[in-house]
Amino acid sequence: MDVDMIFKIAAIGIIVAILNQLLVRSGREEQAMLTTLAGLIVVLSMLVTQISALFGTIKSLFGL
Amino acid sequence: MNIVAISFIGILTATISLTLKKYNGEISFVVAVIGSVLIFLSVLLNLNSISDTVNSIFSTANINSTYIAILLKAMGICFLTEFACDCCIDAGQKALANNISLAGKILVLVTAIPLYQEVLNTVLSLTGGAV
Repeated sequence: MDVDMIFKIAAIGIIVAILNQLLVRSGREEQAMLTTLAGLIVVLSMLVTQISALFGTIKSLFGL
Repeated sequence: MNIVAISFIGILTATISLTLKKYNGEISFVVAVIGSVLIFLSVLLNLNSISDTVNSIFSTANINSTYIAILLKAMGICFLTEFACDCCIDAGQKALANNISLAGKILVLVTAIPLYQEVLNTVLSLTGGAV
């Protein structure tokens, strides 16, 4: 089990939140929104690989 | 499967998710989903050895292997549906969760239909074709 994945995503979340706050305070709302979106996409791509591994395991295990 | 590690991962994920919720709601949800995926994966990888044992037990008991396949398939559908349903409820989409649950129920029914057919055939053969 790789718990590192959870820490990695938590770190991405914290960094994106801080960047978002900084950019909003300096009056760049659009860039803040784009940063949030980029962070979300990176995290989602990690999630999708994990979920596909899970579904593949279920498929092979239960003969779906 | 180490229950201590699994419990630890659960508590850790819940804490991280709760901390992130205020600042970044989407990523907090993703952390929760990743945690459950990891726990689920570790459980399923251990289930692999049980599956072989169950197969050998059923083959010793002379039970048709297609029944076991149907049983396992229904179990897999239930696991998947439950997982997707709970993720949707976590994300606050109850209607979506209910629809997934409905689809799962229907799919289990469709998978189990050959068994009903078999029972019906047995009943018919016992009564000599007369109902």
